[in-house]
Amino acid sequence: MSPDAKKPELVLTRVFDAPRRLVFEAWTKAEHVSRWFAPRPLTMARCEVDFRPGGAFRFVMHAPDGTDYPFEGAFGEIVPPERIVFTGTVHEGNVAVTTVTFVEHEGKTTLTMKQTFAFESDATRGAKQGWTMTLDQLGEHLTKL
Amino acid sequence: MRTGHLDTTFAALADPTRRAILARLANGDANVTELAKPFDMSQPAISKHLKVLERAGLISRGREAQSRPCRLEARRLREATEWMERYRRFWEESFDRLGEYLVILKQKEKRNARNK
Repeated sequence: MSPDAKKPELVLTRVFDAPRRLVFEAWTKAEHVSRWFAPRPLTMARCEVDFRPGGAFRFVMHAPDGTDYPFEGAFGEIVPPERIVFTGTVHEGNVAVTTVTFVEHEGKTTLTMKQTFAFESDATRGAKQGWTMTLDQLGEHLTKL
Repeated sequence: MRTGHLDTTFAALADPTRRAILARLANGDANVTELAKPFDMSQPAISKHLKVLERAGLISRGREAQSRPCRLEARRLREATEWMERYRRFWEESFDRLGEYLVILKQKEKRNARNK
């Protein structure tokens, strides 16, 4: 492997004007998650959250055109109120491992979400190559085209 | 979030050497010899990577018998990027709603504290 090949990742960061305890809490129960997880205009038709290491979550988001978008997976490591790791199916059997970290500073909480995708196809099945990427890096290539 | 070739594309992109090859091809077409140069790899090893990229539709190869220059196929890469963009937007919008919901949670806590 070439040493200068970057290991890019999909990373999202957001600062919330709320204490860490509360931001963390919002991820831990179906009654909370169902209020924010589905982006408009999707609605949460089904929301099950078994918040413990190894526990499963199952969401079904309902679109106005009648399409249902399921999202399901399982929790890995949980360190209240600092870190949540979960694995979820993002695309036709392909999974992403997601790590969410919560850092509090002067009453505000910085949430960082890091996603590593593990896509497999017939060509690479068994190879177990995980990959992560930033949009920025790919975008860089695209501007050159 | 459905796109036909996405898993093949992403699996092909999983390897850093293949990503580096694509980055090199973004600067212009190149043949196997030219592509092998910056890597400490044999031409057959590079050829194997090129086959994966070609199968994924990320590159095409010329028909000239000897050199068979490789060309970046932007469309497939763009599809993958667009999917990532939609995925990123999904989470950004969820976080917008989380922010709104936290305002409600904070108010609820304050009310509960007052009533105690």
